[in-house]
Amino acid sequence: MTKSQIPSKFLSWLDVLAITAWGVLLLRYWLTNKLNLLIHPNYFWLVIVAGIVLLIIGFAKAQELWRLRPQVIAPNSQHITLFAPGWGSGLLLTTAILGFIITPQVFASDKALQRGVTDLLSTSRLQPQSFRASVRPEERSLVDWVRTINVYPEPDSYIGQKAKVQGFVIHPPDIGNEYIFLARFVLTCCAADAYPVGLPVKLGTNQERYAPDTWLEVEGQMTTETLSGKRQVTIAATSLKKIPQPENPYSY
Amino acid sequence: MNQLNNGFTIFLSLLVEAMPFLLLGVLFSSTLLFFVDERKLVEKMPKNPLLGALVGSMVGFLFPVCECGNVPVARRLLMQGVPTPVAVGFLLAAPTINPIVIWATWTAFREQPEIVVLRVVFSLLIATIIGCVFSVQTDLQPIVQPAIARYLKFNPPVQPDAKRRGRSSPKDKGSSSLLRPGTYILGGRAGGMPTRLDANLTPASDTSSSNSKPFRDKMRLLLDNSVQELRDLGAVMIIGSAIAAAIQVLAPRELILSLGSGPITSILVMLVLATVVSICSTVDSFFALSFAATFSSGSILAFLVFGPMVDIKSVGLMLSLFKPKTIFYLFALAGLLTFLFTLFLNLHVI
Repeated sequence: MTKSQIPSKFLSWLDVLAITAWGVLLLRYWLTNKLNLLIHPNYFWLVIVAGIVLLIIGFAKAQELWRLRPQVIAPNSQHITLFAPGWGSGLLLTTAILGFIITPQVFASDKALQRGVTDLLSTSRLQPQSFRASVRPEERSLVDWVRTINVYPEPDSYIGQKAKVQGFVIHPPDIGNEYIFLARFVLTCCAADAYPVGLPVKLGTNQERYAPDTWLEVEGQMTTETLSGKRQVTIAATSLKKIPQPENPYSY
Repeated sequence: MNQLNNGFTIFLSLLVEAMPFLLLGVLFSSTLLFFVDERKLVEKMPKNPLLGALVGSMVGFLFPVCECGNVPVARRLLMQGVPTPVAVGFLLAAPTINPIVIWATWTAFREQPEIVVLRVVFSLLIATIIGCVFSVQTDLQPIVQPAIARYLKFNPPVQPDAKRRGRSSPKDKGSSSLLRPGTYILGGRAGGMPTRLDANLTPASDTSSSNSKPFRDKMRLLLDNSVQELRDLGAVMIIGSAIAAAIQVLAPRELILSLGSGPITSILVMLVLATVVSICSTVDSFFALSFAATFSSGSILAFLVFGPMVDIKSVGLMLSLFKPKTIFYLFALAGLLTFLFTLFLNLHVI
């Protein structure tokens, strides 16, 4: 089972390449502001430090390979890894390359619908957190609203309050034609646990005017409506303004 | 197409979030090889079974290894004469009870701190109970592999010998190489000799005697060890994240909901998933996170507690230590206890 020295040297360089590529990829996500599509801002620094450390490891290993003579690097021919030689680093490198090619995408209404409209219309995973109860209603964000309603779920207590919120449009199948659902994704750790929260919006017109995934700023008054057989706090819209997708589309 | 891109985004986010923790685990365990003198540690181990199992479970704080590295360490501990409960406690709990894993779990489940606390408590409880069960067996011969039993009986623990380094005759591989730290895998289809994953290090790689080595060599050793662990564990992490992302995107929602909300089915599904996926404990909380919205808390805990204890990857490695029957008991006991604890949680608490 003797291997020539060239492949083993090649494999060592493949390791270097894979590790360095990951370091570059992590830093690239940071520098191109794509990190906020993937993880919670609390952990940006971890990713940045990890990117730098990976680069250091990659360069150090490269330097070592460069300096040492081939026969010293030549690994033990008995070496058996979890994967066939080159597989582990090959997989790492391939994923990093895919990461360079494919840009991570902001989740949209299809993802929200897949998470289940029933969830959207009844409970959400948000747990009561610190929020300012004294905030004027029109200053509450969409997430603030959902949090508040979660803590004091009586729909009638909100009737007449002013609302001004931003989010993207969802067309849940079992909601009336005059309604849309205005939602935002909330991240607690990373995109894998992103879950949508939001409120129904009562339009004066047909929902077709506002295509799914359009970002809107909705102003209006709170009211209650019975949707899908359940009484819901709903925004009766007085003005709907199309806005560009925010730089950071997620809430936390 | 959108589905694919969503899946890829989830996959990438899991990797980007997990990479720093994997790196930290790899660097930490590589560095600690230099600082923790396990011989001194062995002398201090309590002989009382309950206390021993408890202390053994907590030794993970000193050896922040995930399940890929704990078997060799447990094996070394056993060969150096620590009581069985200590070794078994360590084997089962060390991958969970260590600072990096606890921090990673906290990162993932910030909104559900009870998951973090219960993961530690359950792992500690289960490891201690099983450690105590194994303490009844005072004669190790029936439960460990004959090679180990013979070793325990006739050979005192080997002091690493400077002369041995640099030579790699097959005989050497059979004994002294097993005492080295690192990640191992069984060679050959029939379950041959365990081989160190990083066996291709240069002769200076014998960490157990590296204290006398110059700083430069130590750093090179650290570097080589880190590169190899990053490559192997990183690849496992990629496969695990791909599975998690695929399940999230492809599995029909009704199926996931019906499986995930049943108090018993959810636990069973997660126990099976934990066994199959075998993802490293430093990053498995991110994997579990993608099920947090749909699966019961008890079942998420079942994954987080049982996953690090049973690991298909390391069964081959465990076979070099215990007889198959022993491993079966070990896994069955761990699985049953996890099931009971988390079922209680599902039915009565959450």
